[in-house]
Parts: sequence; structure tokens; C-alpha cells
Amino acid sequence: MIAKKVLLVGNFGVGKTSLIRRFVLNEFSEDYISTIGVRVSKKVVEYENETIKLMIWDVAGTSGNEKIPKAYFLGAHAAMFVFDVSREETYLTIDENLQMVKELSGLQNITIVGNKKDLLTQKELNKVIEQVSVNIDLITSAKENDNVEAAFMQLTAQTLN
Amino acid sequence: MKKTPVDNTKDNRFELLRELLLAEDREKFESLSKEVIFREKLAKNVSPLMDEKILDLREKFPEYFGDTITETIKVQIRDSQDEVVEALYPIMGKLVKKAIVSEITKLTESVNKTVKEKFSIQEILKRFFKGKKNDADVVLQEVFEPIIEEVFIIEKDSGLLSGSYSRGNIADKDMVSGMLTAIKSFAEDAFSKEGQDLEDIKFETFQLSIQNFKSIYIAIACSGVLNATFKEELSDRINNLAEIILRDRSYLSDEERLNTLIFQKLIEE
Repeated sequence: MIAKKVLLVGNFGVGKTSLIRRFVLNEFSEDYISTIGVRVSKKVVEYENETIKLMIWDVAGTSGNEKIPKAYFLGAHAAMFVFDVSREETYLTIDENLQMVKELSGLQNITIVGNKKDLLTQKELNKVIEQVSVNIDLITSAKENDNVEAAFMQLTAQTLN
Repeated sequence: MKKTPVDNTKDNRFELLRELLLAEDREKFESLSKEVIFREKLAKNVSPLMDEKILDLREKFPEYFGDTITETIKVQIRDSQDEVVEALYPIMGKLVKKAIVSEITKLTESVNKTVKEKFSIQEILKRFFKGKKNDADVVLQEVFEPIIEEVFIIEKDSGLLSGSYSRGNIADKDMVSGMLTAIKSFAEDAFSKEGQDLEDIKFETFQLSIQNFKSIYIAIACSGVLNATFKEELSDRINNLAEIILRDRSYLSDEERLNTLIFQKLIEE
């Protein structure tokens, strides 16, 4: 079995933890994330005839990132940047945030996910997609379990590139 | 046969007499009857309310009277400390005494056994030629023998577990490795100065020693008393293990092989 470290980053309250909850059940207590700024979960997935052990590092909100140890980003094989489609402030500075994650992790490609699609109408969603300055890989809803598996599969694929 | 005529006058007089004699009793009876009926009616209406109130009181007793009772008890205890001590002392004393006696008995047995074994002429001569350890160290090390409970070999940056050894069953080792790496990074970031590494985490009966190398770190959880000699020996063994792994990196991608190596180099030796 191959083990891979993947990161989940994004502003506070965008639903990173909810996405992980949907995807995995095997996780440490919620308290860690507020105490040391990260929480690790594990999920074993099958991808292209390969069994992959994903160690998912749920890194606390990237705004005010100076407080989060840079070491959390080291050694990652893939990363997912999550923003909240219903909150402009979570994607307005997406370029800047992505650049910072790339610099800290050394990763070139990052999966970009817009979460909480259940809070918007299709028309509003289209407007958000136009507004976001980078290509969004997937629009998800952790609440309605929409596209969550697909987002993590894309992240898994990224670990093998 | 001729029927005797009814004497109505006599009957009426008898009725009248009865009325006169029992009038007072009847009044009392009626009044009592009214009172009973009233009480019954009242009981019918009040009973459910009373039951409800009693239930509420039972459920919320601490809320209603907790503070008052606590305060009263506090005052009572404060005002009659001697009596309280006198009442509790025999019970507490017995419990404490029992616990101490039990622990001391265990300790005595253990010390006796160790002294018997370690102070045989054979052992004394062995120590004399070996040097290093003093007698107290020998006895203490035997009584509170340090035991390696867990070993984790972890990739430094990613926190991924490469190999491990465990005496018992612990939580998911992969997640422990990840979180340990996160906690280590957090502590180093928060407290260390330029590249210093976290080396020890102590619990009540456990000590987690961390030895850092270039690309991996080795975390070892031990129980018992870790004296200087044990630490020194352990450190040597860890360094030897790390040397083997870092010379042949294929160990890091073969968990089973690495686990066997950990067992051979740290547990068996």
C-alpha cells in the first residue's frame, strides 16, 4: 500500500472539515484543529488498481497564516484548496492564497474546490464561477454529499502525478 | 278479621319528637358531610397539581436547594471541623493505610527479589569486571524496569509512518504518527530557536523520546524508570538502527522488513 500526505487548506469556515467528515470517519478529535491548527485523518482508497492510504491534513484557515507552522505543508503529495461559494471573502484573494500554499508545500498543482453549492441557485453559482480568477476543479456540497468523493479522487490522482 | 285503624296522630307525634331530639345531630351530620364532600372535591383538583409539584421538586431539588444545602454543609463543616475530622479520619486513614501497605509490600517483595538476585557473588563479580553501574542503579533498574512500549519510525516532513513496534494495542498508528508530527512541528515552531528539535514528551507513567535524523525521526515510548544508563544504551541502539536505515533507504518503503529490523535492533538485543 502506498501512503500519501494530502493537505486541505482554505479560509476558516469554508467546510474543509465537513468535506473530510463526509469522506472519512476515521479521524482525531475536533479539538486538535483549534489547539494546534491541524488535524490528521486517514482514508484508504482504491485508485487505478492501486491501494492508497491518504493521510489528510486538515489545516486551519489560511487567513492569518503566519500563526500556522510552515512544517504542516512540508512533504505533501497533493493539496486541495477549498473556498465557500457563498462567501466572497473566501475566494477574492484566491491567487495570493494559492501562491502561498504552493510556496510552502512545493506543489505545482492544487485541486481547487468550491464548497456549499447547496446555498446558491444555479444562476448565483454561475456568477461566482465567473468571478473566481482561477479554474475551479469541482463544485461540491458536503451537506448534500455532492461531488465530495469526486473531489477526493481528483486529489488522489494528483498524489500519483 | 277486622283491621285496626291507623293512629296517625300517634305517628306524627313520634316523628315530631324524633325531629326535636335529633335536630342538632342532623345539623352536625350535614355539616360534616359537606366538609367531606368539599375535601374530596378539593383533593381531586389539587392532587395532580401536588403530584406535579412533588415531581418538579424531586427533579430540581439541587437547583432549588443546592446552594442553600452546600452553604449549610460548608458552615456546618467549618463550625464543627473537629467532629468531621473525627468522623472521616478512621475511614480515610484505613483506606490510605491499606493502599500504602499494599504498595510497600509489592515494593519490598520486588526489592528483596532483586537484591537476592543481584547481590550473589556471581553478579557482584560480573558488575565488578563490567564497571559502570552503581548498586542503587542496578536495584532501581530491576524494580522499576524500563520497558519499550512503542517505536515509531516516521518520515520527518510528511509524518508518514515507515515502520513501528508496539507491545500492546494502540490507536491507529498512521494517525498517531501524523498527529505526533503535527504536535512536534507545532511545539518546534512555537518554542524552539533555529532548527532545534523536540526531544522528549513526558506523561505520568510514560516517556516519549524522540531522536531526529535528516529525513526521519524515531519516537520511542517507554514506561518505568529511565535511568542514565538505559537512556545511553537506548540512544546507542537507536543511532545504530538509524544508520542501517539511512544507508539502505529501501527499508523505508518496506514496512514489514523495517518492523523486523526494529524488533531485532531495539527489542531483542
